Amino acid sequence: MDAERFDTLVATHHREIYRYLARTTFRTSEADDLAQETFLRAYRAHRTLPPDANARAWLFAIATNVAKNHFRAESRRRRAHAAVRETRNETDGAGPEGETLLNEARALLDTVVAGLPLKQRLAFTLRKVHDLDYDAIARSLDCSPDSARAHVFQALRKIRRSLNGSEFSLGRDER
Amino acid sequence: MMRKPSVCQKIEPELVATAIGDADTTTAARVETHVRACAPCRQDLARYRAIDSAVGAWRGAPAPAEELVGARLTSRLADLRRRTLVYRIFPSPLGPILIARSEEGVSCIEYLTGGSDFAHSRLSREEGIEALLDGAEVEALYRDLLEYVEGRRTRLEWPLDLRLARSEFHRAVLQATAQIPYGAVRSYAGIAGVLGKPAATRAVAQALRWNPLPIVVPCHRVIGASGALTGYAGNRVMLKQRLLAVEGIRAIGPRSDSRVARNTLYHYDRNDQREYCLPTCGDIARRPIGPVTLLASRELAGAMGLVPCSACRPDLHPLAA
Repeated sequence: MDAERFDTLVATHHREIYRYLARTTFRTSEADDLAQETFLRAYRAHRTLPPDANARAWLFAIATNVAKNHFRAESRRRRAHAAVRETRNETDGAGPEGETLLNEARALLDTVVAGLPLKQRLAFTLRKVHDLDYDAIARSLDCSPDSARAHVFQALRKIRRSLNGSEFSLGRDER
Repeated sequence: MMRKPSVCQKIEPELVATAIGDADTTTAARVETHVRACAPCRQDLARYRAIDSAVGAWRGAPAPAEELVGARLTSRLADLRRRTLVYRIFPSPLGPILIARSEEGVSCIEYLTGGSDFAHSRLSREEGIEALLDGAEVEALYRDLLEYVEGRRTRLEWPLDLRLARSEFHRAVLQATAQIPYGAVRSYAGIAGVLGKPAATRAVAQALRWNPLPIVVPCHRVIGASGALTGYAGNRVMLKQRLLAVEGIRAIGPRSDSRVARNTLYHYDRNDQREYCLPTCGDIARRPIGPVTLLASRELAGAMGLVPCSACRPDLHPLAA
């Protein structure tokens, strides 16, 4: 890939890579750093990318690796989990009595997703938010497509169990 | 929590796949059949669908501060791109050669001595650059270089990036050296003169000692005022001799003191008539080379816009090839 194609790649995918990292790391400043790291790595490697490769999936794979390195230590994951709770409390400002039940349920969903084990969280986000196929997710997570599928399944099962009994489980669509 | 019947446990992955749209039609039909008869699974399916639709709202939703994050990436990427040199190491008749280039142009050609890996290169010790082994981009340069060394090509029309020059003066020396045409030889003093610093002969030699782009910046075409080849790439004066020979410039004498054979070369001492001479014209071949340019052929003299001397008439008395 030449320099010009790389520029196009940055312009086209920077935002969604940042969104992906923001959703999986919870802090925007960290997501910004990690998105930069992703594209710096991509620049270093882009010459070896075959012309017919799926560049988008390749970028998600790099971003996933960057995120995995970032969260390697379990303690950091815990801190992040705590951080998302804090952030929610800050941003939702109005306090519980001002929130609709649906918003509350959505915030809960965010928190539940944030608490998923890393691989499940990454696989789930790649599949459900960024619509990557299981082959691409498998390459990102360095596992088989079946394992990728299993991660997404486990993630959803945990989400459902965590949300059971909350208003959300009888979401808007069912009312 | 009550345990689910095993049939329900077994179908749960398929149920999830159906809820999130990942299941094929056969699987989805199987799940539909099951949930028609199983109320708890029906409820689960509805819950999974609700989760799926809630998560769907995340798609395309902007992340916080999204508008602000592009700028730092742009500047860090630009910085990395400026610093990056891609290189590869090739075998060559002159020994292993490292070729590196930036996005601007060819920035390093290095004869590797003491080992043909990157750790032995001068490039590995340069600061402020990031060297990446890769080099599909330098492959074509290598082919040109091979052709050149084998005498099948006389020009290397590459964009050059002189970033590894150690100072502005060094850069000026390299630029002046790059102007010496194929088949011509000048002296260190001559280059110093071109730069308007006639006393800087040693500094010119020093600058060429650090030439980051040998061959393409043809420091092998710069010799001592006595005609001695002096040094090249450390103590590899044989390489200099070889590169000059490819261009039709012979050297004579023992290896430790080889010098160009001036009597086989045309001489051009700058003059208003732009006349070039035979080495036998007056005392020209006995004077130090200094500002004189030595030329391998009359064709080259013609290409440089020079005319035959009206006294010695190199046009009528060509030197034996």
